[in-house]
Amino acid sequence: MDACAKQREYSAKDYKSDVKPIWCPGCGDFSVLAAITRALASMQLAPENVAVVSGIGCSSRIPAYTSVYGFHGVHGRALPVATGLKIARPDLTVLVTGGDGDGFSIGGNHFLHACRRNVDLTYIVMDNQVYGMTKGQASPTTAPDWEGSKLTPEGSGVNPFHPLVVALAAGANFIARCSSSDPNNVADIITQAIRHPGFSLVQVLSPCVTFRPEQQEWKHIVRTAVVDVTDDAARAARRLMTDDGFNVGKVLYKGSRPAYQPEPKGGVAVAELEADFAL
Amino acid sequence: MALQINEDCISCDVCVAECPNEAIAEGDPAFVIDPAKCTECKGHYDTPQCQDVCPVDAIVPLAA
Repeated sequence: MDACAKQREYSAKDYKSDVKPIWCPGCGDFSVLAAITRALASMQLAPENVAVVSGIGCSSRIPAYTSVYGFHGVHGRALPVATGLKIARPDLTVLVTGGDGDGFSIGGNHFLHACRRNVDLTYIVMDNQVYGMTKGQASPTTAPDWEGSKLTPEGSGVNPFHPLVVALAAGANFIARCSSSDPNNVADIITQAIRHPGFSLVQVLSPCVTFRPEQQEWKHIVRTAVVDVTDDAARAARRLMTDDGFNVGKVLYKGSRPAYQPEPKGGVAVAELEADFAL
Repeated sequence: MALQINEDCISCDVCVAECPNEAIAEGDPAFVIDPAKCTECKGHYDTPQCQDVCPVDAIVPLAA
């Protein structure tokens, strides 16, 4: 057999582009980028069979830093773009990357419906509880008493929302939380998320070293969750509602809903739809 | 007596500026400490500065 016919082996480096990240030194997103490339290498996915889609934000720059197909899209709209891509090309492994601002505020509605549709996507949210790219304002996951922004000098006074509980209620099929302080664990969780059918949400606590420097302490605060994965949504909800957000490193919920499949017959013709609206 | 950066390095660049000996250089895939320059911060600080700032604890003592 011809030696050239032998399947080449991919290393994590093969999934990195030549573009040097412009993130601040020490940013947690470096860890997530490393974790994504390590996960893809562990699965030996051919780079041309993977796509990374993002919206806007520091963490949304990831498609530029990978060598796989990518689309750096419109703010908050990464999930609809990825949904369309996955439905048109179900053979691709589609990852979506972004932050808490992109995903949970401007993209909040798309987040709900991506969970509900349960298309086979892996959504990696780098949560740093701040809008970093616009120089540090409160986000939907910021604590109400955070006084670090001149826009909210006495804190926002608004409670953060809980993305994992929301995802569970909206129908996400895989929910995990991990910490950028352990990139190998993040890689393992991403691998599991890719393998699990349907919509997977991976929340990564990823410190913003510039606008939330106190988050550098997260690496000492996080602890490995002492729970086993459950397929019982009520049990998962109870666990998530009662934890403090720093139980990491484990898959918390794996559902068994089948992933969304597009209409096999291709839907109805536009003319048929138009006929319904004819006056 | 020196430190080294292991394969867990995420190349985040945070350690380079912290080193009082300018012993850390960008490498591929991991950053590299020049053992001839590294003093583990003795004489400068109480603790090795790169270890303190490394977000993924990838800096460890150089194996003898």
